[in-house]
Amino acid sequence: MWAQLFEQLINGLVQGGIYALIAVGYTMVYGIIQLINFAHGEIYMFGAYFGLILITVFHIPFWFALPLAMVLCALLGMLIDYVAYRPLRTAPRLSALITAIGISIALQNLARIIWSATPKTYPSDDLPSFFVSGISMTGEVINAIPLPGGGTLPYRDVFILLIAVVLMIILNLLIYYTRIGKAMRACAQNATAANLMGINANRVILATFAIGSALGAVAGVMVGLSENVNPQMGYYKGVAAFAAAVLGGIGSVTGAIVGGLLIGIAEAFGADLHSGYRIAFAYIIMMLVILIRPTGLFGKATSKRA
Amino acid sequence: MKDKLTPRNIILCVAICSLPWFLFGIDEISSLLLDQYRISFGWPGADYVLRIIVRACLYMLLAIGLNIVCGFTGLLDLGYVAFYLIGGYTAGILMSLHGVHYWIALPLAVVHATTWGLLRGIPTLRLTGDYFAIVTFGFAELFFRIVRNETWLTGGVPNGQLRGIPTPTIPFTSISFSQNWHDYYHILILLALVIFVTYRLQNSRVGRAWVAIREDEQAAESMGINVGRYKSLAFAVSAAIGGIGGAFLAQFQVSFSAPFFEFWESIFILCMVVLGGMGSIRGAMLGAAILGSLGEILRVALKNYPEIAGSRMLIFGIILVLLMRFRPSGLMYKKS
Repeated sequence: MWAQLFEQLINGLVQGGIYALIAVGYTMVYGIIQLINFAHGEIYMFGAYFGLILITVFHIPFWFALPLAMVLCALLGMLIDYVAYRPLRTAPRLSALITAIGISIALQNLARIIWSATPKTYPSDDLPSFFVSGISMTGEVINAIPLPGGGTLPYRDVFILLIAVVLMIILNLLIYYTRIGKAMRACAQNATAANLMGINANRVILATFAIGSALGAVAGVMVGLSENVNPQMGYYKGVAAFAAAVLGGIGSVTGAIVGGLLIGIAEAFGADLHSGYRIAFAYIIMMLVILIRPTGLFGKATSKRA
Repeated sequence: MKDKLTPRNIILCVAICSLPWFLFGIDEISSLLLDQYRISFGWPGADYVLRIIVRACLYMLLAIGLNIVCGFTGLLDLGYVAFYLIGGYTAGILMSLHGVHYWIALPLAVVHATTWGLLRGIPTLRLTGDYFAIVTFGFAELFFRIVRNETWLTGGVPNGQLRGIPTPTIPFTSISFSQNWHDYYHILILLALVIFVTYRLQNSRVGRAWVAIREDEQAAESMGINVGRYKSLAFAVSAAIGGIGGAFLAQFQVSFSAPFFEFWESIFILCMVVLGGMGSIRGAMLGAAILGSLGEILRVALKNYPEIAGSRMLIFGIILVLLMRFRPSGLMYKKS
């Protein structure tokens, strides 16, 4: 009983690490331009596909494919901002939101056309060997830590958690100790005032999109290691990650991380109760947070929201 | 308003009402040409065309319903499909599993959808903008999960599939709606009813209150408009129309399953409203007529390129983006 709960907790944490990586992209963009970037889930999906293509088609080793996928996704995120969102900065919020939905649909179906709707998996032969875990012929557990109660924790999952934690630390350093981070915080507080102080808001927003998208790409590649890659993946994980961002308090990076881990754990335990409602637990948490405490766990109260 | 009995409108009415005969006429001409002169002009058959038209009319109905919340009160509803789903499953379950007559199931479906519209309104009344959109989205997704998972509710077939929904008959007769042209007149009557009601609402104090709320909620409140009541009314009317659409779908499709009501369906209907111009009933109808039939037209026109035809959602996405960029008020801009 306890062993099983412990295993679910570990699974939840690993899922949560991935949600946190995606949620940061939502929350950073929202913090600066108050836009729910619906297309972010699709950027994450493209990250998974970029990684897959780089590894299988271009035969690039995994350790180079990951940063390359991050760069490609960062470019994609910046392109989306430049083409679709920038012209609508002064337009009503509803227009930008509908544009985001449009981009999301377009990207998802673009992926369907390019790579077809059939789920694909990362080829285990081309991955570093310690990602490939299982049980050998002699019954030995390979590349995994045995857990009490008979379960195993693959090194892959440990790696996912570690990379999520490391990236989050780097992100926090970036936000609090660099010039661009300072500019981002300034724009999030008051874009007009930041502009008057000589900060190029458009450049800061582009940087935000680039960072968020690069983290999304990492999440995409990480998910590709353990699950299959399909055009729908961005939609499901994207919504759960958005729920994480809302739970943590939209606009707060710390909140996104904590929210991601909490949603991951809630989903893991929820799936234990009823697997068909797995994703529904994230929705319910998200709706309850919006209705009861719209600022989330770490968000700051604002006088006007909408 | 152009709702008078002008000659133009009478001709339009006659044309709409005699459309099936016109289509069957083309059927005759087409088969005549094919038989006698071996000429084919790619006519897919009146039944097929009528079916597309009925679907487009159903979408018109739904677009008008969504337009009440999105266009009139200015709240972005991403979960409209929930009411469509509730209407469809209520009518479908009652008719196929419990043998309830369609003309009893239809009002029950509408009442059920309206109830949920009001219930959803209770917590969301004070929400605006993004948060309203997100909660409506979550609401619809929950209903989608429920019909997919609770098979005891839907007769035990997985994925929320309902089968063998009986075709309704006209009361006290044995004439059943078995042909597509029956469905055409059926949806036409429902659509006319819905258009009439929404037009009357739009041009009444209710409609003016809705628009006032859209333009500035605080100002509306201070002018003495009971914002909560009028928003609830908008939710209820909108949900009721969704319920009508769902009930119609149930008897039209005979068999359907949960994927009919996925999130994308909400977005699809939203696309229609945005394309036509939010806040305009004619706009919603125009958008629905274009997008509701575009998919089928593309499928027929691009028969040899199934990949392109299968990606019509890509086109819808691009339409949304381009519209917001270049014509945010939609095709039918209504000056107010």
